Amino acid sequence: MKQIMVDVERCNGCLTCTLACSAAHSLTDTIVAAMAAKTPARIQVMPVKGKAVPLMCRHCEEPACVDACMAGAMQKDPVTGIVTNEGNEQACVGCWMCIMACPYGAVTQHPNGKTALKCDRCRGRETPACVESCPNNALRFVEVGEFAAEKAAKTAVSQLTGT
Amino acid sequence: MHHVIIGNSAAGIRAAETLRYLDPVSDISIISEEDIHAYSRCLLPDFLAGSRSEREIYFRPEDFYARNRIQTIFGSKAESIDPEQRRVLLDDGTRLSYDKLLIATGASSTLPPIPGIDSPNVFGLRHLRDARNILKACAKARRVVIIGAGFVGLEAATALYRQGLEVTVVEKMPQILPQQFDTLAADIILQDIQAEGIRFVLGRGIKEISPPSVWGRIFSNPGCGVVLEDGTRLKAEVIIIAAGTRPNVEVALSAGIKINRGIPVNDFMETNVPHIYAAGDVAETKDVVTGQTGLTPIWPNASAQGRTAAYNMVGHPKAYGGMIGLQNAVEFRDVPAIAMGISRPAGADYQVLSSYHPEKNRYKKLVLLNDRLVGMILVGDIHQAGIYGALIKNKASVSRFNDLLLRDDFSYGYLAT
Ligand SMILES: Cc1cc2nc3c(=O)[nH]c(=O)nc-3n(C[C@H](O)[C@H](O)[C@H](O)COP(=O)(O)OP(=O)(O)OC[C@H]3O[C@@H](n4cnc5c(N)ncnc54)[C@H](O)[C@@H]3O)c2cc1C
Repeated sequence: MKQIMVDVERCNGCLTCTLACSAAHSLTDTIVAAMAAKTPARIQVMPVKGKAVPLMCRHCEEPACVDACMAGAMQKDPVTGIVTNEGNEQACVGCWMCIMACPYGAVTQHPNGKTALKCDRCRGRETPACVESCPNNALRFVEVGEFAAEKAAKTAVSQLTGT
Repeated sequence: MHHVIIGNSAAGIRAAETLRYLDPVSDISIISEEDIHAYSRCLLPDFLAGSRSEREIYFRPEDFYARNRIQTIFGSKAESIDPEQRRVLLDDGTRLSYDKLLIATGASSTLPPIPGIDSPNVFGLRHLRDARNILKACAKARRVVIIGAGFVGLEAATALYRQGLEVTVVEKMPQILPQQFDTLAADIILQDIQAEGIRFVLGRGIKEISPPSVWGRIFSNPGCGVVLEDGTRLKAEVIIIAAGTRPNVEVALSAGIKINRGIPVNDFMETNVPHIYAAGDVAETKDVVTGQTGLTPIWPNASAQGRTAAYNMVGHPKAYGGMIGLQNAVEFRDVPAIAMGISRPAGADYQVLSSYHPEKNRYKKLVLLNDRLVGMILVGDIHQAGIYGALIKNKASVSRFNDLLLRDDFSYGYLAT
């Protein structure tokens, strides 16, 4: 299964990915429409000690957000592996349990204040918009393992567990 | 192989779907006393408020059981378990054989033993039938008194207020949400709800409920009286008791399963009786923060426990990672808030970092013990809750970024780089 992998070293914080994300989620798939409708981005680029760090959902194997979802809206598609609270039979109520549960802080409140917002990996699009737009190759959509995925994951885990 | 699950809610459903995912061929049956598709109790307040219909509180699609080939035995109560014969006895006399059994019977509302508690129009709020009865009673009511300013009480209060009723909440502790929030956080949330128009009586418990008097009934004034400890009387046509829950352990008792308050289970969600597992509000598990075994009656934990139980039931040993027992997200009106772990530390060993911006209704409190985050409260801005939660859960040392923790831009990035 392909995943979006981040090479932090390559990110220079240009925010192109956030614009592309908004555009891809606007009605007409354009940046103009996204700006007009204030379509929020589902990827964040955060400043960390003076360095830009892109943050987004990893579509976890065992997503804590899915366990936490009391409405049943947040589901992981067994075929595509995509975790999303949109387009399922159950609708999101905006209870924020997923925000509380996500260890990566990848779920946010939609500016409408009513639902949770997260990456849906551009549903069905061959390459997610953020990846496609990144001029620095900091984001890549690859089979896990091709990338230095394990290494990246390991450092992250060791930081988290303090080991 | 026949997997039998008692309870059709967070833990039971998550277990059932995981069982089916892991094991395409075995038989799976769910027994439920409630004769209805799996619905989310957490959305009962939305149902009370009229913002969601019965169908809209279902938390799985309508074809869930068919698609997952799950046999449903609804409207039946499991009366007892015979662990020798591996059979469950239902209230209609049916016996059901199992290879593995999951007890996911959840909890019930506790009703305090005060005079008049069995008067008409006094309700708990746990089941859809409670919510239906409350709405029916409210159709002819003007005033509602809610006993208990915990999470469920406040949810019920805001829901019924939205239906146009006059709502008074009575709480015997001096603050609202006493289990999760400290006084400052509770105060911010209280002001937010009060601004809506809901009345509060804090620091006073109730003594009795006096049923409508004969004259009252004759002159069609059917209100009950709620008598507080200090003698104050409040009149209401509908009274909702939201004074906590107790685990449904009766059926486990019949099998000789060990019980504390709930059913203690090991890391594999096993009870002390072979082939019988427990998960959800009925189970006692180890809290990752306090290390103590106890009830953790919240939805995410019930789901995670059900999912873990399923792995072990099919013979893939999987340990329950442990969850933070106390965690809750609330938003009654405008101000979202989340509390987790040890949010009100007692003792000098704890270090507390906090920031408070009254003008923005923002409050953040982080509780540390020996360089590890053990609890937190976020009010107003909750976007970092998950990161703090992960730090708490993983007992990560935060000494490296102690001074950055409180910042509004503290993110996962600090951990990953
Ligand atoms: C109004 C309300 C709001 C809530 N809001 C939140 C929230 O915002 N966040 C949160 O984390 N949690 C919330 N909770 C708590 C959450 O609903 C529970 O933690 C969760 O439902 C537990 O799931 P469970 O599967 O363990 O058991 P339950 O949901 O209690 O379900 C158990 C089921 O088993 C059935 N049963 C019991 N005994 C038998 C028997 N002998 N035979 C057959 N069937 C039986 C019961 O009838 C019931 O249907 C809320 C609860 C309520 C009532």
